[in-house]
Amino acid sequence: MMEINKWFNHLTKNFVSIYPLVVFRIFFGIILFTSTLRFILKGWVYDLYLKPTYFFTYKGFDWISPVGENFIYGAFALLLVFSLLITLGLFYRISAVMFFLVFTYIELIDKTNYLNHYYFISLMSFIMIFLPANKFLSIDNLLGITKEKRFIEAWKINIIKLQVGVVYFFAGIAKLNYHWLIEAQPLSNWLKHQSDFPLFGNLFLNDYAAYIFSWSGALFDLLIFFILINRRYRIYGYLLVVLFHILTSIMFPIGVFPLVMIFTTLIFFSDEFHEKLLSFINKNKFLKKYQNEIINSKKEKNLLIKLLLTVFFILQLILPLRFLLYPGKLFWTEQGYRFSWRVMLIEKAGYAQFFIHEPRMNRKMLIENQNYLTPQQEKMMATQPDMILQFAHFLSSEFKDSTINESNGEIIYLGENPKITAKVKVSLFNKGSKDFINSNVNLSNIKRGLKHKEWILKYED
Amino acid sequence: MCISCQKKGCTDPVAINYSNEAEKNDNSCQYQDFDKFDLLTNLTNNYILPSIESYKNKVTLLNTSTDLFILSPNIINLNNLRSSWEETHLNWQDIAFLDFGPSEYILLRSQTNTYPIDTTEVNNSILNAEWNFHNATYNDSKGLQALDYLLHKPGYSDLQLINYYISNANAKEYLKAITDDLMVNINYVNNEWINHKSNFINDFEINNSGFSSNSQGSSISNIINALCLHYEFYVRRGKIGLPLGVFNGFSQQELPHLVECYYSGKSLQNTTRCINSIRNFINGSGYINNDNGLGLDDYMNFVNAEYNNMQLSKVIDNQIVTILEELNNYNNPLSEAIMNNKDALLNSYEELQKLVPFIKVDMTSGLGVLITYQDNDGD
Repeated sequence: MMEINKWFNHLTKNFVSIYPLVVFRIFFGIILFTSTLRFILKGWVYDLYLKPTYFFTYKGFDWISPVGENFIYGAFALLLVFSLLITLGLFYRISAVMFFLVFTYIELIDKTNYLNHYYFISLMSFIMIFLPANKFLSIDNLLGITKEKRFIEAWKINIIKLQVGVVYFFAGIAKLNYHWLIEAQPLSNWLKHQSDFPLFGNLFLNDYAAYIFSWSGALFDLLIFFILINRRYRIYGYLLVVLFHILTSIMFPIGVFPLVMIFTTLIFFSDEFHEKLLSFINKNKFLKKYQNEIINSKKEKNLLIKLLLTVFFILQLILPLRFLLYPGKLFWTEQGYRFSWRVMLIEKAGYAQFFIHEPRMNRKMLIENQNYLTPQQEKMMATQPDMILQFAHFLSSEFKDSTINESNGEIIYLGENPKITAKVKVSLFNKGSKDFINSNVNLSNIKRGLKHKEWILKYED
Repeated sequence: MCISCQKKGCTDPVAINYSNEAEKNDNSCQYQDFDKFDLLTNLTNNYILPSIESYKNKVTLLNTSTDLFILSPNIINLNNLRSSWEETHLNWQDIAFLDFGPSEYILLRSQTNTYPIDTTEVNNSILNAEWNFHNATYNDSKGLQALDYLLHKPGYSDLQLINYYISNANAKEYLKAITDDLMVNINYVNNEWINHKSNFINDFEINNSGFSSNSQGSSISNIINALCLHYEFYVRRGKIGLPLGVFNGFSQQELPHLVECYYSGKSLQNTTRCINSIRNFINGSGYINNDNGLGLDDYMNFVNAEYNNMQLSKVIDNQIVTILEELNNYNNPLSEAIMNNKDALLNSYEELQKLVPFIKVDMTSGLGVLITYQDNDGD
């Protein structure tokens, strides 16, 4: 018991060098800045937030929207400003708070754009709010906004390591399934299209290649955290991190995520390593040793923050496992799929047609999805039941109480709750498109929420 | 030696060691080595370039026929112009779905074959001798469909039509402007293809690492996205579904005037030609000699794409054949078949509909192509 206590204190309360946190602040800030800039320059602000007329919001956050052109471009401009301020360590706290809020707001606009690495950035920027990353080598120091500090409590470094560990470990757990391990899916399909990959292309055509990639990928995710925290094997672990992320970034269109991980995992290296990095910026700061500062450092009593962060991590341990509460096949129903580090796990494609039914009659009208959705939204919706339901509700409200003037002169009144049905075909792991949901169910009458969606048809292998 | 063993061998006709004496497959089938570069080479050299060149030649002929007709509007020259138009139109169907690269850049499809035609705008333009084909608002008063109208004006006998052109210099000029416009556009597309074909074969959007993974912007992705969009939107919907009334509210009242080539009544031949061309393209058939080269079908076989334990390529081909057989049951003009034979046509439409998920869901995911017309990150 004493031992555990000692160990826990060592990881949380002991004073350690601030250098790793400062390096993290600078690199993470630069990545946030460049990836935001890249996003803007690629024209995605328009494509994702201005072109669509409808947005798949998250339940509880339906009030969130891009508002308008000035608002959304303003939000992205703020991200640029705050990420720059974080990098420089200027007005750090308020910048971290604002970056987290603005970034998360943008991510909550549309489920279509959900990516695990955006989720990671949201979480990380939340954590950064509580870390004193501006206490050294920052403009805040120069301006006297905050006092310089070389030693901080260990949890303020280890919490970043823990967050990285959670990401990798759950990504590993998620790979422990029949398709990934036994069928080597979806990699065996994806690798076949990579036969022109430099040097190794032809090897990818070998049946074993997909198995080697799948199994080593799973092992990497499960073990990398433990390798990185081990002083002796850390350097090999880091080489693996670099290799793994460079390989995946060449093979798949995953944007800046590999860079995020390659730089974030530097946090695992020693204080001396980070001291060397920082001395490139300002050599004079490292001329003498400051060991006695530890003794003068007071332990802070920030119970509330500690409690908040504990709850934050407990939630992160529960969220990826919530799928266990739902019957049926996770990859088919996707109930409890998001926010769980399921990365590159499934190959799924779909096609959905929606119908509005005439009250009390046997006639229905086919909806042309492209009148309401962008191709990207249509594609993402076709395989995700909660989005199918949302779109049905949107159609129901669009046509509620409306009258349709038919070309043959008929006038049809749709009533206050028009019946909506959908015919959806989905293919999972290329096993052939199959009916996805019960096409007789009136989706207008089904409530949104976390309850099991009984109208999803059973997956037949 | 057992005699029955001799009946074993490779029973798959697609394989290179197919034996027509074999009765039982002994898993010895060997297939042609698949290579994306060879696939793109075959599609480009043996389908895309020759089909575009052929269409270009047809348009050139059409332009000459127009000159002849304008010079001396008579029945021989009128019929010559009409048949030249008909040939050009059929040839258009062979390239309509190649809507990527230069064709996509100049919106060739909208410039060439937008319908229904705005006849009021056509007649006003002729009356006032005022038009601007560079402006996209004129897309529905130029191109092949405007010729459909102008060469088969409703209520005009051949003689009346000839007299119309004899007495109307603006109308003659308008005809010529249309065929000139078609020529300018296809010459541009043809030249671009000739000059940049190696970029396409080598995949011009290759990412920094020097290879492509069928990601957004790659040649394969361009081909498949264009094919799916054209079939779903412009064939299934535009050529059949829309005039049939499938998209027309609750009453689903038929809208026969929305068919392609409404005025000449030559709709069905263009529909079947287009579907047939899509079939040839998927199967990698040469445009000139119909030789079976590497096509999307071979790609699907190479990655073992399946549907209900059948080869997906076979399922798609069977479905296309079914569609063609269905359409064979009707006669021109389609606008009349829609009025007189709607129920049967609705059943045929269902067959056209069935092909959509096969190509849009099964084929694209089998070939690792994302159906999206916009660039984005994944995870």
